[in-house]
Amino acid sequence: MTSPLLAGVLLAGATALVALAALVLGRVVRGPTTPDRVVAVNVVGTTAVVVIALLSAALDEPGFLEVAIVYGLLNFLLSIGLAKFTIERGGVL
Amino acid sequence: MTTLQVVAPTLEVAVSVALLSFVVVVAVLTAVVRDVLTAVVVFAAYSLGLAILWVLFHAPDVGLTEAAVGAGVTTALFLLAISQTVRPAGGRTLVDPRTVKPSSVVVALGVTVGLLLTVPALPPVGAADTPAFGPVSDFYLADAADRGVDNAVTAVLVVYRGFDTFGEIAVVFAAAVAVLAALGRETLA
Repeated sequence: MTSPLLAGVLLAGATALVALAALVLGRVVRGPTTPDRVVAVNVVGTTAVVVIALLSAALDEPGFLEVAIVYGLLNFLLSIGLAKFTIERGGVL
Repeated sequence: MTTLQVVAPTLEVAVSVALLSFVVVVAVLTAVVRDVLTAVVVFAAYSLGLAILWVLFHAPDVGLTEAAVGAGVTTALFLLAISQTVRPAGGRTLVDPRTVKPSSVVVALGVTVGLLLTVPALPPVGAADTPAFGPVSDFYLADAADRGVDNAVTAVLVVYRGFDTFGEIAVVFAAAVAVLAALGRETLA
């Protein structure tokens, strides 16, 4: 069982991370090159994994960790796909 | 101790507000970004934000689906589609506001306002008279256990809504066949 103090700290951390992810969006939009955007969206995905892990601990729901694991996997695949697409245009699958 | 117990739900609201603002910003960016590849990347970020929201609302199954379909499959299909297009040469990052059709803005705002109008009709969060708190939930939970299905969500999908799921599978199968046929034609040409 997570103590209310710890849950509060974890939720505050999650809020801060989401705010930071919003800042990273600036890099996604501005670029200027595609690799910049790929790395930026990878950062957003990693933030998503961490936020879900924090929520899992704060809300005392260990089942949420499975979602975080799937996210980590998808985030990796997304970055690989985008990177491959950038190098050889059209070679996604 | 009591102040801390008050603070924790407030922080949960803070996370929700931050996530919702993030999702709205990303949605608008997806619409106004000029480069298609950037739009696809931003749309993947939109899916990730939305999926965290589902997890926060205690619906991890929906979150998983949103991540797998929204961020994974949709992005791959969009990338396949835009690989057949040409990128606009240089220039501005965002769409020129003068080229945006006023009618599309009006339609988007109209749909948004129409959806927002339905919000007051929803029951408040945690209201005792919502169907979820009625005798129906208890029946399904007990009956699903009797049928030997451990996960209640799985039980609803394959037992109580079996025909609905069957129809969905038919739609997904048809879509997969159509995508494969289109891709096969591309490589043959």
